[in-house]
Amino acid sequence: MTQPSAGALSTLIEIAENPTGYVTRWKTATGGKAIGAFPMNFPAEIAHAAGVLSVVVQESREPITSGRNLLTEFYCGYTRNLADQAARGRLDVYDGFFLADHCIQLLGAVDVVREEGNRPVYFGQLMASMGDPWTRTAVDGKMLSFREELAEFTGRTIGDADLARSIRLFNENRRLLRSVFDARRAGDATFTSAELQALVKSSMVMDKEEHTALVRRALAEARAARRDGRIRLHLSGHFCHAPRPELLRAIEDCGAIVVDDDLFHGTRYISTDVREDVEPLAALSQWYLDRNVSVPCPTRVQHDVDWDAYLLDSVRASGADGVIVLMAKFCEPHMLYYPELRKALNAAGVPNLLIETEHEGLPLESVRTRVEALLERIRHSQLANA
Amino acid sequence: MVADYWENVFTARERGQQVVWYNGSAVNPIFQAAGLEWCHGEAFSARLAAQQLEKPAQLAAEEYGYIGELCSYARTHLGCAVLTQQARSEDQTGVVGLIDQQELASRLPAPDFFVNAYAGCSTGQQWDEISYRVFGKEVPIFNVSLPFLWGNKPDSGYLRGREWDEASQYVARQLHDLIAFVESMTGRPFDWDALREAMTYIKRASELRREAMELCKAAPTPATYWDWIASIAHINFLPATQELVDYFQAVKDEIVKRLESGIPGVQNERYRFYFDGIMNWNKLGWLAKKFAAHDVAMVCGRYTHNAFWQEPHLIDTDDPILGMAQHYLLCPTNHGTKTLKYLTNRDCEEYGVDGIVFHASRTCRAFTNPQHLLAKAAQRELGIPSMFFEGDVADASFYKDEILESRLVAMLETIDLRRSRATA
Ligand code: SF4
Ligand code: SF4
Repeated sequence: MTQPSAGALSTLIEIAENPTGYVTRWKTATGGKAIGAFPMNFPAEIAHAAGVLSVVVQESREPITSGRNLLTEFYCGYTRNLADQAARGRLDVYDGFFLADHCIQLLGAVDVVREEGNRPVYFGQLMASMGDPWTRTAVDGKMLSFREELAEFTGRTIGDADLARSIRLFNENRRLLRSVFDARRAGDATFTSAELQALVKSSMVMDKEEHTALVRRALAEARAARRDGRIRLHLSGHFCHAPRPELLRAIEDCGAIVVDDDLFHGTRYISTDVREDVEPLAALSQWYLDRNVSVPCPTRVQHDVDWDAYLLDSVRASGADGVIVLMAKFCEPHMLYYPELRKALNAAGVPNLLIETEHEGLPLESVRTRVEALLERIRHSQLANA
Repeated sequence: MVADYWENVFTARERGQQVVWYNGSAVNPIFQAAGLEWCHGEAFSARLAAQQLEKPAQLAAEEYGYIGELCSYARTHLGCAVLTQQARSEDQTGVVGLIDQQELASRLPAPDFFVNAYAGCSTGQQWDEISYRVFGKEVPIFNVSLPFLWGNKPDSGYLRGREWDEASQYVARQLHDLIAFVESMTGRPFDWDALREAMTYIKRASELRREAMELCKAAPTPATYWDWIASIAHINFLPATQELVDYFQAVKDEIVKRLESGIPGVQNERYRFYFDGIMNWNKLGWLAKKFAAHDVAMVCGRYTHNAFWQEPHLIDTDDPILGMAQHYLLCPTNHGTKTLKYLTNRDCEEYGVDGIVFHASRTCRAFTNPQHLLAKAAQRELGIPSMFFEGDVADASFYKDEILESRLVAMLETIDLRRSRATA
């Protein structure tokens, strides 16, 4: 499935850039089924336990054509692209689709996937209000429904032992990736932020055991480097799909180094393990609830969990000098929460910048100008405080 | 009636009344029975937009950091929340400051608590969570979670299937919890008889509304979609009283009279259209005139005909909770495309529709989600053409008149051509 001769990191990058190629190879090699899972909370462990390759469907780089007639242009880049991929048959490699998240734009796009295609699409809505007395029971019910659906989809029962094994493998993968992110926070600069993104993105695509082995190799092959004196930044936000690697490179090329993030294609995805000491389905419910505490998300509603406070704590812990908020343009939950973030960062004197991204057209020149202005502001305040 | 309702809301504080801010579903009969004053966020934004008074609130929202592409209902209402909160911290009166009062023509009282029960759109639930944060997390909030009726199973459909039954029960259980929460907020036991009475009025008002709508299947139609828009406030959030029943009785009587006297809703009805999308409140009168000027009678629409207590037979007035829960689930943005295709095509057939107008509302994706799929289905299954125009629910800057005009003319030509071919 992977090309053993290539450097492990390049292989991971290649898979991150071309998930369909990997899925096709995996299906040919195993004869198994693959499902497209939509972000951000589908419990892929259950699919794995059923012998299915569960892939977080990624944004592709193709310009939008047919999708224009299915979803209007004021949708986030991910959902517009999803509708386009569906219309152009780019999702045909998947045998079915699973969704756990209620984002209205995502539902619109997934309904296009359902209507334009002929593959089963299952939506097990994990309730987004996290702190109600009935939340846990409702989430338990949905986890059970995923197990039933996947059993029906594959024609095989999913036992607790299968599930426990999958949970162990997923935890191992998350732990390994977290160790890389932890090292970055502590001053390691072996990987650029674009490379780290590729590590996470490929994890969303690949068979977990294979991915873990490949990441281990990539770590062994890498030449360790320590962080230099560049200005340290935290990247925040950008749900569901990955910010373009060239955007990450442009930010770092301006003279900054990313030391931490709460991106979905980053810390958010790998933040939380599933407990191995309780019954597996119950552990997955708990994982869903824990995840929003580990890295709060504005797509969820939880009164005693604050993304703004989390962000300030992260900035303090990593020693970041500033924050760049990366927002997928038109992303409603992010637009709603953004003022709270800005208020908290400004009150704490943390310089910050908002950059909106779209599926098409990344104005790199203007991004550079704005990032440079942010870095300049940071330098000024550092001098003033020196 | 509507003006009286708002006046009542604005004077709630002076009268020592508790105020609840809520969004989404019409849970107001519960508030009415509990002796509260209720303020519906979307309704307030719609009111400001319809009166062209939305700008100050939207500017306050912008200054606070909300981006212009955010749902304009939420943006407007959050702007009001920001202003109200500022005023509250300024003088603790809980009333928007004088200059803002003039600009907003409002005196929105600060909430004693929030209730969120938003179907269909994820933004609805997130919006109230943010209001809660704008008020410093000091005002209690209660969330009712309404599952999206996605239609996973072959038996899923409009008012049927396991998914529908389970969702109905799930929401009904939460409504009981909501009532317990309201009791804790008011410090009084809940008045179940008052709820039954309120729901009896709503059921009757809704029956009359549906009967009157039914009469509008006649050609030419005696009343149009725009008339039904004008009575949304009444059915959606005004107090449920005999006055409400009388209002819809009068609406029905008027329609009967028009039918008998041959008075049409549009002078020279030549085309019958269906309107899909949320209302463009800034342009309400303008749109009504524009279509009438082209002899188009807008006969029905998703927002009016598939919403607002539209299935009164579901309400058991002795035990109304389940029927209420079911109506909250029946929000016209809370269905997967499969069900919406069924509803749209059904209405298009029953009302003898020639074409569909889709309002692609820039900041309300809940309504725009299925529109292209619905357009394709109507064309494919019924041969009904459609057109799209761009606008927004409460932000006038997104409305594009030229597009509407040129596409309307083009669609009427298509219909004319088809008719002449059919008669040739
Ligand atoms: S990026 Fe935002 S708007 Fe887009 S699907 Fe994700 S949560 Fe929804
Ligand atoms: S986007 Fe539309 S449905 Fe969603 S909260 Fe705003 S007005 Fe309501």
